[in-house]
Amino acid sequence: MLDEQSEANLLLENVGKSYGRKPVLERVSFQIAPGEVYALAGPNGSGKTTLIRLVTGLAFPNSGRVLMLGENIHEGGFAVRKHLGAVVEAPAAFYPYLSGRANLERLAWLSGLHSPAERIRDVLFMLELVAVADQPVSAYSLGQRQRLGLAAAILSKPKVLVLDEPTSGLDPDGIQKVHEILKEQAASGVSVLLSTHHLREVSAYTDRVGILGGGRLIDEVVMEGASERTRLRVSEPERALAVLQTLPFVESAELKGEVIVAQGPVSRMIKTLIEDGHEVYEVSADYFDLYEYYRERIKHA
Amino acid sequence: MLRFTGWEIVKMLHLRSVRLGLAAAFVLPIIWTLAPGLKKVYGLVLVSGWQVPSLALLAGMEFLYPFLIAMAAAEVLGAEVSMGTLKPLLLRPLSRTRFIGAKLLAALFYPLLVLAVSLAASLLAGLPHGLGGFFGGTGLGAGGFAGVGFLTAGGALAETVKAYLLAALTLMPIAALSLMFAVWFSNTTAAALGAIATVLLMRLLVAFPALEPLLLTSYLNLYLHPKDLAMGLSLLFIYTLGFGLLAVMLFERKDV
Repeated sequence: MLDEQSEANLLLENVGKSYGRKPVLERVSFQIAPGEVYALAGPNGSGKTTLIRLVTGLAFPNSGRVLMLGENIHEGGFAVRKHLGAVVEAPAAFYPYLSGRANLERLAWLSGLHSPAERIRDVLFMLELVAVADQPVSAYSLGQRQRLGLAAAILSKPKVLVLDEPTSGLDPDGIQKVHEILKEQAASGVSVLLSTHHLREVSAYTDRVGILGGGRLIDEVVMEGASERTRLRVSEPERALAVLQTLPFVESAELKGEVIVAQGPVSRMIKTLIEDGHEVYEVSADYFDLYEYYRERIKHA
Repeated sequence: MLRFTGWEIVKMLHLRSVRLGLAAAFVLPIIWTLAPGLKKVYGLVLVSGWQVPSLALLAGMEFLYPFLIAMAAAEVLGAEVSMGTLKPLLLRPLSRTRFIGAKLLAALFYPLLVLAVSLAASLLAGLPHGLGGFFGGTGLGAGGFAGVGFLTAGGALAETVKAYLLAALTLMPIAALSLMFAVWFSNTTAAALGAIATVLLMRLLVAFPALEPLLLTSYLNLYLHPKDLAMGLSLLFIYTLGFGLLAVMLFERKDV
């Protein structure tokens, strides 16, 4: 555990926040490794935005701590924010009388970037904002401002990227662009934390999804392998489940209604069940629907 | 820090309340010299353009300048909150103390700017009355407007600049107070109202004679009473520093 913690770019330990007597977040803990994408999901008022503000150091927790690259972000560790890129509001806010480029120049200066012109050119190109780069931000559309926000977030080549609803207000092309960039960032070792309502969009590249409900982290879904599961409709499903759970090559097995959802080599699982006297009526791939899972989870929270 | 403060001043100059304040500071002396009731209100017939700055200062320091300063200092932070630009700035590797310190310096610079504009406009408005030596007083030195004999142009300029500088210094605690309220309330209007209400309340506290020497408002007309200079400046400095430090301390752990 200690090794895992020391490797995590972002670590939350029992983070709690309340306003007056009203708790908004309670004992939230998770960590994000380099290159990992962690999505926060939850209904409105579940505490996602508060959590994002706590993680980025904009708000202060009543309990627990947030470590970014091993440094407590709330205790004088402001320098560690040079590794942070974030968009915490949609649309991202900029000085409206300055051009997009001039806004980025000022942010680059605050981030301590030396000779940032080339990097600014790169991120403007990446976000397809070159054509409007020298126009005042007041003339930007909602989507352009949102893309400029992402450009600002990745400007200083952060190791931790935190985004609150990054695709809000974007058209389909813009959404696609943002997802591509987030995938690229993660592939280059950046830890990405994002809050989203669009679970189906992000499920393709998210490693884990934290589900917030009532200020608590009520579930954490590991996406790796989630789409490689198999649905088995067999006779005596409860007994069949017990059999599957004893098999070393079966990574997971659970009963959903009358259907067993299992992860493991399909042919070996079927062979074992037949040898045990079960009849196998149906075998199909279990396409994990994160959104459906989320709805179920929230409903029962 | 210097560059950061410079940027804060540039940002401040984009604020609507700041531009409005500077325009008011420019217009007031010009209107005042044209006012037909001048003799009735101040018992004064202008004999020199050097008397116009005093008129503008007397009129402005009563309420207008403290109000303009309170509004602008509140908006220095309040505008960042309402535009949403505060959060992106604080996401950068920037100490909050440095950030609010630069805002405080910008807010403290504003009284100097307002009074510089007012002085420039006063001299402009005074031009038709002449800016040479004259028999009389500027209203800001010995003998008031009647003066103590012949006053050279250089003497009048020195008296005027000194009075304007002192007036600017007396407005600085109001700027610091307003910024402190802006940190507290995260809202321009509430902060400006808080600062103005505090100043008005302090004015009422003259009913407690023991408190009077310690009140900020007792020194708003310091430029007319140079004998209180040492005590007045010390107290104004303490007030400015105190409000500034409170702003820094509040902001250090403020949820944004």
